[in-house]
Amino acid sequence: MKKKFVSMLLATTTACTMLAGCGNDGQGAVSGSTQSLDGQAESGAEESQKGDGEYDLTLYTINSTDADFPDWLANVEGATGLKINVVAAPTDSDTRQQKITTILSTGDSSIDILEINDEMSASFKNAGWLEGLNDTVMTEDIRGEFPQGYVADMITDKDGQIIGVPGYSGYLAFWVNQEIMDEVGIASLDTKEDFLAYMEAVSGDGRYGYGGSWEKTYVFNEIAQFVNMFGGDYLDWTNPANKEAMEFLHEMLEKGYTPIDQIADKYEQMNPKFNDGKYGSLFMWGLGTDYDKAGMLGADKIHMAMVPQFSDQKYIFTDSWSYVLNTASQNKDAAIKFLQYMASEEGMKASYEAFDRYPARKDVAEKVVPDTDPSKEIYSRYANECVVKGRPMLPQTMEFISAMGTIFQSYMKDEITVDEFCAKAQEYVETYQ
Amino acid sequence: MIQKKSLQWIAWVLILPVLLLRGFTTIYPIIKTVFNSFFDIKILSGVNEFAGLANYINIFQDPKVITTLKFTGIFVVISMLFHVVLGVGLALVLNMKFMGRRFLRTIVLIPWAMPSVVIGMAGKWAFNNDYGLINDFIRRFFPDFQLNWLINTGSARAAVIALDLWKDLPFFAILVLSGLQFISSDIYEAAKVDGADGLCSFRYITLPLIMRNVLTLCIPFTLWRLTSFDLVYSMTSGGPGEDTSLIAYRITMEAFTNLNVGYAAALAVLLFFVMGGFSWFNMRFMSKFED
Repeated sequence: MKKKFVSMLLATTTACTMLAGCGNDGQGAVSGSTQSLDGQAESGAEESQKGDGEYDLTLYTINSTDADFPDWLANVEGATGLKINVVAAPTDSDTRQQKITTILSTGDSSIDILEINDEMSASFKNAGWLEGLNDTVMTEDIRGEFPQGYVADMITDKDGQIIGVPGYSGYLAFWVNQEIMDEVGIASLDTKEDFLAYMEAVSGDGRYGYGGSWEKTYVFNEIAQFVNMFGGDYLDWTNPANKEAMEFLHEMLEKGYTPIDQIADKYEQMNPKFNDGKYGSLFMWGLGTDYDKAGMLGADKIHMAMVPQFSDQKYIFTDSWSYVLNTASQNKDAAIKFLQYMASEEGMKASYEAFDRYPARKDVAEKVVPDTDPSKEIYSRYANECVVKGRPMLPQTMEFISAMGTIFQSYMKDEITVDEFCAKAQEYVETYQ
Repeated sequence: MIQKKSLQWIAWVLILPVLLLRGFTTIYPIIKTVFNSFFDIKILSGVNEFAGLANYINIFQDPKVITTLKFTGIFVVISMLFHVVLGVGLALVLNMKFMGRRFLRTIVLIPWAMPSVVIGMAGKWAFNNDYGLINDFIRRFFPDFQLNWLINTGSARAAVIALDLWKDLPFFAILVLSGLQFISSDIYEAAKVDGADGLCSFRYITLPLIMRNVLTLCIPFTLWRLTSFDLVYSMTSGGPGEDTSLIAYRITMEAFTNLNVGYAAALAVLLFFVMGGFSWFNMRFMSKFED
């Protein structure tokens, strides 16, 4: 009898649970995988009662985990009058790219606006999956305020249509640890000689003058940066400057100025090492959030510095994540309204205040970013003193990046020679171009 | 009286939805994958042309895939070898009578219950030279020990296999244990009376009686190893270079990152035949073993 009762109870519970699951699904397929990110209990409760049809558009975003995201969303919704459904993008770069590629390539209309990085821009801009924005959002009156080289290289398709609104302006900045610089008595790193002197002074006893993340896809930034600094061309490996750059990195490794361990490192491994004082300098995107969280960001600790000049000029890369409009979107009017706001002064200000994203428009940056923000000075110096470039990418971006990273690791581990590396690199450029 | 055969249509009607669903979700994708494997489909370049056997020929000329196939072979063989040897050993330990046996049987399954992606991410940190708990432990005995496991081919592969064993070996052992518990203690007692020691009992009683169980377990465990993807994806991303790339990982990268759909389909078909061949061989071996 007791067994029978327990069995009946379990069966009833299971049935109820399954029915509850079905009921929830009935509210809409997307809402099951989305986050109601308004944060505040009031708006959260309001959203939970809404179905799909009541949203004006769906945004696929990388920022949903940011603590200030709910405020940003409230600001955007308030300013545009749009009700935005938010889908959080995966934090892992490979997974994120796979998901976005699948959404766009299959003509999935459940997502209207997506945030994509340069790698994805290079891959997608000529695939016909993204709507051109020249006449609606990136109009002539504001187009000139965005970084011109970046817009032309990274987010303009073969027909001259701009396919995205840059969400911010970022640099692959040169970061130094001021405590270490003070310790070794070096005030600035202006030239290659200064850089090498710093390497020599800092390196030893488990500490390195330069650190990086040389995981096969992440290392692309550093290979391209050093090629740039030596005045080379990443897409021409017959250029002697490219070879010189690779030999320079190899020599840094041999002399113990930088560790081979970083072959396994992504940014999440590299940044703690920089915070812990294992590295004297590195190249990194962003405004130093990870260093700030560790209490290491500041003029007397870890801060951005001017890029050393290795050849005729100082070179630096710029990047951004752009808001793009899915061609398959069924909510294009709302999506364009959203994009217009993101390209406006108010939209950029909201992003700067919520996510510390340096405004992509120079007129807005001038107005919005206070002079007390340390990034303002160095960013304007980068813009004025350096040759600013978009990163060299090919349509099969990730395949190319991964192939280059693989042979770079082989060269650094002395499995191949520098000539073999350059020959192979040129072969990859020709294959993926 | 209604004939039993005349009512069979009812059974077919009842299972028809399941058959249709299964056909759509399994048979159709298999046929479509085989079909795609004869085409050069590159979504990003907009290429979609008949390529005949070119994708299959490319597989054996692509250094990335050759490295991947080599490591997949190494991974499956070594991991399965350790699964069998250590799994049986662990099962024997768990079958012994000692205090805390139940507790041990429960906690050994914890790694198996954790998602592979989580284990892979934890593994990436665990094998880190500066912050990893593996080296931290080794340094308690050898203070000068320095090794970043994930940067050299051999050590990275060893780390991946070790992590795979750490995760799945206890499950294998628990399943072997279930076989061990069916062996009657009377047989051991009779053998003891006949003068058999522990080793003899294991060699002539335990091993033959659990062999069928172990061989049966080897089929799914080997197939799981062949299709293993998430561990490498989250732990090494196939690196250094492509040295820890597994075939399922390569298929995913070709299909979803590089968008070379035709090539990925050819790799998937190859894997399909390898898995089918292995299962057939294993079942033949089992029936011969029974004979």
